[in-house]
Amino acid sequence: MLSEVLSKDKIIINPSVENWREAIKAAGNLLLADEIVTREYVQAMITSVEEKGPYIVIAPGIAIAHARPEDGVNDLGMSLAILEKPIKFGNKDNDPVKIVFSFSSPDNKRHLEVFQQLTTLLMRDNFVENISKATTPEEVLDYIFEK
Amino acid sequence: MKILSVCGNGLGSSLILKMAVEKVLKSEDIKANVVVSDLGNAKGLDADYIVASPEIAERLKDHKATVIAIKNMMDKNEIKEKLISQINQ
Repeated sequence: MLSEVLSKDKIIINPSVENWREAIKAAGNLLLADEIVTREYVQAMITSVEEKGPYIVIAPGIAIAHARPEDGVNDLGMSLAILEKPIKFGNKDNDPVKIVFSFSSPDNKRHLEVFQQLTTLLMRDNFVENISKATTPEEVLDYIFEK
Repeated sequence: MKILSVCGNGLGSSLILKMAVEKVLKSEDIKANVVVSDLGNAKGLDADYIVASPEIAERLKDHKATVIAIKNMMDKNEIKEKLISQINQ
């Protein structure tokens, strides 16, 4: 369940970041802090974009950063950074990015249920605009889980 | 009908796109098997349609399947206009 992995300590609002690498780190470090992933995993999320391109920007303003299970995953995890100033990832259709998710999955199946919920969330009308109104992690969770 | 959803790893973007496509197919009452793949394996897999981001789609343009580039994977209307219109032809 998304509510079991995306807790308020996995959300950061307006982290101090200057570029897309720092934006991915800001989200990834929240997983690292709980040892859900290793430091190598956070770096691998960046390397993945460098090597495979910025297709992780799946929709206007939204990036979903991740690496592979063998890159240093201890558990299923998801975190979220909401950027104050949108940042370019190099994706010509969907830049600039305002919302950066990072996730980790120990295999290619464990994240399926969480992703079903994530897909429904991201397909909401005006998702980026509405989630950006939140000023605290609690308000982000209220929006996501419609409290 | 088989639809491949492809991204670099076959884990993240392609899964999100698969789930979005499945939602649209369901709303249109179309039955299809939607499978995720990474770019390397996709080249050797059979499918009727492939959906992917424009940059991944470009690298699959020689595939036998009809390749459809989706810019905004969370946009039901874009998926309808590009994929469903092809299926209904």
